[in-house]
Amino acid sequence: MEPQDVYYSKAEYVETASGNKVSRHTVLCGSQNIVLHGKVIVQSDAIIRGDLANVRTGRYCIISKNAIIRPPFKKFSRGVAFFPLTMGDHVFVGERAVINAAIVGSYIYIGKNAVIGRRCVLKDCCYIEDGAVVPPETVIPSFTRFAGNPAKCVEDLPECTLDLMLEFTKNYYQHFLPLSA
Amino acid sequence: MSSFVNRRTNVKIAVGALVCEESILKGDITIGPNTIIHPKASIIAEAGPIIIGEGNIIEEMATIANRLPVDAPEPTTIPVQIIGSYNVFETDCTCEAFKVGDCNILESKAYVGREVELTSGCIIGASCSLTESDTIPEDTIIYGNECQRREMHGKPYPPISQIEFLLKILPTYHHIRKPNIVPTKNEGGL
Repeated sequence: MEPQDVYYSKAEYVETASGNKVSRHTVLCGSQNIVLHGKVIVQSDAIIRGDLANVRTGRYCIISKNAIIRPPFKKFSRGVAFFPLTMGDHVFVGERAVINAAIVGSYIYIGKNAVIGRRCVLKDCCYIEDGAVVPPETVIPSFTRFAGNPAKCVEDLPECTLDLMLEFTKNYYQHFLPLSA
Repeated sequence: MSSFVNRRTNVKIAVGALVCEESILKGDITIGPNTIIHPKASIIAEAGPIIIGEGNIIEEMATIANRLPVDAPEPTTIPVQIIGSYNVFETDCTCEAFKVGDCNILESKAYVGREVELTSGCIIGASCSLTESDTIPEDTIIYGNECQRREMHGKPYPPISQIEFLLKILPTYHHIRKPNIVPTKNEGGL
């Protein structure tokens, strides 16, 4: 199935040498601590909080409008520390999702309005449905689909999930085109 | 009333508060010491002033709004929204409650409506919404998809260590609005 072309205005997006497409209307705090590993799309009004800790994404990540990516903190007996947030390759983050996870693996779909609690670990090839609320410190195993509030496993995913997500994010990137072209 | 709304933005920031310049502040707002307002947080004092106490954390995309429902009759008095001390408003939550006590936590995407009164030590879980007129008793936790309630044993701690950390690191990355009142002098600093 071929996805529809999504057009963006060339003036709004900045394209880097490694193929990242980042909207000018985003809030990237502490940009020196944010690493986008290439072919990443960050859409308008997304917020990435690099000022709190390092944020690192893999290749072919799609961060939709109004999504918030924010490194998690942990309270210790002496003060608070923020932990770096790492994200694997081929991750899709839906609109208005809030991600407070510590580790987001690869080939992951996070739906619209999902909330990923503090210091969660999302293993490779999992699917978080729209509006799911994953409580803090949850580990989401591979090949599972989580939904609800609090999120529970609703289904196992087939082994081809990896290829599906790979295809999905690559297609999305290829069909994310400047308007003037 | 309308003249009040049209008045120029009037933000009073106490010494020791940290208000990022990228935050959205509209109307008559008073911000107490040690309160931290992250970039892209919005505080909208449409219907009347908002008074925020000490040591609150208001994260990005959180909205605190003093607004009246569209079909509400013109109020006889100007409604004042009062937020106590050491509350945490996490990302993308909305608070319209006209009275919020101390040490409450509103988690991500929580919604608290106008007619709700939060007392102290309450936690409103992620994606929970409270719209009906209600007073939430102390130390209540609201969670889950049906907004179940239970009482907490013990009090939540004020997030002092978090405030200290943020006070240290945020000024190195953000432009900060200058405080304009000294805590000992009441409101006369402008």
